[in-house]
Amino acid sequence: MRETRWWFAVLVCLVALAPIAVSAADCDRREPGLSTRYSDGWGITPDANRLQARTTIERSNAGTLQLAWAYGFGSKKPRTFPLVTEDTLFIADSGVGIVALDRETGCTRWVRKQGGELGTAILYARIDDRDALVYNDRNGGVYAIDALTGADIWHAAIVEQPIPMYSGTPTIQGQTVLVPISSLEIGLAANPLYGCCTTSGGMAAFDLQTGKELWFLPTIDKPPAPTEKHWLLVQEYGPSGAPVWGTPTVDVSRGVTYYGSGQNYSPPSTTTSDAIFAVDIASGEKRWVRQFTENDTYNIACDISRQHPNCPVQMGPDHDFGAPPVLVSRPGHPDVLVAGQKSGHVHGLDPETGEVRWSVRLGRGGALGGIHWGMAADANRAVVYVPVSDVAAHPVDGKPAPGLYALDVDTGETLWVHSREDRCPDRICSGGLSAAITATPEVVFAGSLDGYFSAYAADNGELLWTDDTWKDFDTVNGVPASGGAFDAHGPMVADDMVIVSSGYDSFGEKGGNVLLVYRLGGEGAK
Amino acid sequence: MIDQEHLAGRGRRLLATGVDFVLVPALTLVLIMLTGVVEHAEDYRSLAWIWKVFGLAVTSYLILNGYLLWRRGQSIGKALMGIAIVSTATGEKAPFWKLVGIRALFFPLLYLIPPPLTVAPVLDQVLIFMKGRRCLHDYAAGTSVVNRA
Repeated sequence: MRETRWWFAVLVCLVALAPIAVSAADCDRREPGLSTRYSDGWGITPDANRLQARTTIERSNAGTLQLAWAYGFGSKKPRTFPLVTEDTLFIADSGVGIVALDRETGCTRWVRKQGGELGTAILYARIDDRDALVYNDRNGGVYAIDALTGADIWHAAIVEQPIPMYSGTPTIQGQTVLVPISSLEIGLAANPLYGCCTTSGGMAAFDLQTGKELWFLPTIDKPPAPTEKHWLLVQEYGPSGAPVWGTPTVDVSRGVTYYGSGQNYSPPSTTTSDAIFAVDIASGEKRWVRQFTENDTYNIACDISRQHPNCPVQMGPDHDFGAPPVLVSRPGHPDVLVAGQKSGHVHGLDPETGEVRWSVRLGRGGALGGIHWGMAADANRAVVYVPVSDVAAHPVDGKPAPGLYALDVDTGETLWVHSREDRCPDRICSGGLSAAITATPEVVFAGSLDGYFSAYAADNGELLWTDDTWKDFDTVNGVPASGGAFDAHGPMVADDMVIVSSGYDSFGEKGGNVLLVYRLGGEGAK
Repeated sequence: MIDQEHLAGRGRRLLATGVDFVLVPALTLVLIMLTGVVEHAEDYRSLAWIWKVFGLAVTSYLILNGYLLWRRGQSIGKALMGIAIVSTATGEKAPFWKLVGIRALFFPLLYLIPPPLTVAPVLDQVLIFMKGRRCLHDYAAGTSVVNRA
């Protein structure tokens, strides 16, 4: 009996010790400065142009960028887009929490511990006269915390959907927090005993001060109904899906938010999948919806086998909109809403009506893009910068055309292309650009799936600087770190700094767990 | 104490485990299908579905092996291999409550241990190669596995 108790004690201890805490070098001064902030959110500006004008990085000095310090994440798939202030970087470290780092040295000001799967930009807000941060946990919902201490303010989640996924970063407009909603069903469908599928993507709005839900607009109006039973006697349902993966774009002058939807998870397909939505922010009413790919039904079950009972018989190409639409506004010119699709298409729309002004196809597209996470634009140059992935996922026809493209925003005409070669013949070495990119008035920063982080000239696409991150790094927090594929949220630029995370161990890509902070090393350095 | 010569051979024990490892999940799968505990989106609102599947796995184990364990200290796999579970202290058939309450629960619980200790089920089996030929769950229940004379 004594022996039995002893072994149970061992088991209990093993379970209790499983989560290993990460310790980090603490800063002398814990309180972050918040008077200067370099972004309004994931899109840097509400129109999602991902253009950083507040920088000293130029065409002439980009070649002097040097690694200043590195931070080791707790996850091999870091998904974070930092908030930069005059002295602090706020990052999401999945499995660890929200971390405030000193911008110069990387020492830790505070950690708000959170065990969930964080994949988010960090947003600044004022809540009850407090400096606050707003962010999302992919499974847990949206959080507001005190920016000075990391203390909780509120936590919000929608009630309309049973298993929502908060994959896209929210956008704050006035006193409204816009939250894109997808669902776990795309993955649950892999289970043949799961009755695929009943959930709808959508957009939710919460009150910034309280976290109270204001409205929820599903992408699919029609409720799911039973369709057929498959051979394991499981009842299936449809329509479903049309998730919203990307950050909502805000048109301040029209009071509208624009966002894209994904494919349907199960038949019947709807007219709102693979579509761009324009929605009134105050009321949650639709202004217009424009679909670009019809009859696109797909879920993860199809990746296991086309014969999987949950894979739609008429499997679609999975050509959703993951990248937020980019609103380009210039005095004296009509506004253009530019939407990039995983099919490789880029569409120029009238933001007032959704009418398509132009449409071009840059790559062969695929389940991981085409255009995957995000584009950038410079209204002064009347140009939109488009990263093309074209990495093979499902079998697709056509020749891949990965690289960085610059398009005329009025016509879609290609101004220049910087094509990318693969590092090696293996899939893990794809030179495609899947991650979101960030531009400055003179430079475009883009990381590739094969681990290169590069600066391109904004005027002609010339490669100005590149760094191979497939190596190990010494980190300021002592966590062993290495680089991998660049994917997801992409780089942030502020003053003379570029901040980017390397590593993404999904979809056959190379994992890694490092946050890299580069600074100008020569003329132009701060 | 049990003589080394009476202890069940490692090969037979592993084969017996292999047989049970096929039969129990197969029945669990059927029970999951019949009960539909993982069929609807609402089932995934919380992690309760994991415990439901766990419960069905234990139920499957008892349906398949309960009678044999009670009467002869054997699972189907062990019966096929001619080996049985006994109390290490007495060498007699182990008490039924230990076989069910400790051994039957212990094994699936090992699979619920989070990273970085997800190797626990492997460790459990590897211990059979030590001199006493006892897995972790044997130590937990105070049991040994012997050849059935």
